[in-house]
Amino acid sequence: MNRNTYYEELKVAAREIRARCGLSTPRVRLSDLRKIYKEQGIKIDLWKTKLKGLRGAYFCDESGASVMLDAKLPEEPRIFTMAHELKHHLFDRLARNCFETIADDDFVEIGAEVFAGELIFPEADFSTWCGRLEIAPGACSPEDLVRLKRETKTTLSYAGLVKRATRLGFAPAGSLAGIHWKKLEEQVYGEPVYKRILRARQARAVRNTSLRGPS
Amino acid sequence: MPSAPTPNLVEYVGGRIRELRAGMSQEALAAKLEVATNTVSRWETGIYRPSIEDLDRLARFFKVSILTFFPPDPTAEDDQFVRLRKAASGLKAEDVEELERYAEFRKARYRLGQAKRPGRKPKSP
Repeated sequence: MNRNTYYEELKVAAREIRARCGLSTPRVRLSDLRKIYKEQGIKIDLWKTKLKGLRGAYFCDESGASVMLDAKLPEEPRIFTMAHELKHHLFDRLARNCFETIADDDFVEIGAEVFAGELIFPEADFSTWCGRLEIAPGACSPEDLVRLKRETKTTLSYAGLVKRATRLGFAPAGSLAGIHWKKLEEQVYGEPVYKRILRARQARAVRNTSLRGPS
Repeated sequence: MPSAPTPNLVEYVGGRIRELRAGMSQEALAAKLEVATNTVSRWETGIYRPSIEDLDRLARFFKVSILTFFPPDPTAEDDQFVRLRKAASGLKAEDVEELERYAEFRKARYRLGQAKRPGRKPKSP
């Protein structure tokens, strides 16, 4: 089987899981993945010790299947990592020794990335949304991507969206590199509510301290 | 396959904690682990079964493998760890170490899960 056929099969499988689990939007949540993990009998271990570059790892032996997850991962990378490791559970554990699937083979690892991306936000849906938001092929700007993320409420990270937009030809290669996405979001949509609340609280705390004066 | 459930595994674990603690008081160890002194005492006498998280903390504190707390397993698949290291060759050394710790953590959890729950020993007449 060549790479492309393999990746296409993984995308089909990811879409089947979406359909089976009632995932109809690009907003796949942690609870959705936890549910799938529970069905599959995969234990999740949040690993509290600081990891350097590792986000997660899939293990399977006679004691069962489990996924080690960096406990400090923010929500979106955690969702993606869980989807990535799910692919190893579904497709790699029976074919080969599970320890070998962690990092030694690009073929298997890229497949897991493809699967995770498709599970969260299928390519066809991405293209449909681009059409709906009038993002023309080859003309996707950083602001367009911010708008797409906001409109779709997708839990696929900006890194994932950039890869997707580039691969599907909506953005020229490299045109979306080096963007500070959160900063750009603020420029487009203004300061997020949580930041405003935090700022107001801090200002109130400073005011209260100065009113009390030195003791 | 791991060895068959050991009826006195919890006592064995307790013994290993006592050995590793040699030269250190129960109070001092309890303070380091932020548990009650009684807890350490009860682990050592096999009244309490330490949780897998407790064992992980103890292993990190004593800088030993979590499997140190268990009887040697003659059927242990050492080659799993060799393969794990090979598979993780692209990772940073610290991450490889954590992966190995996790592999051991899983094995320890499995073996601990097979141990019988301890209880208070009946008082001698």
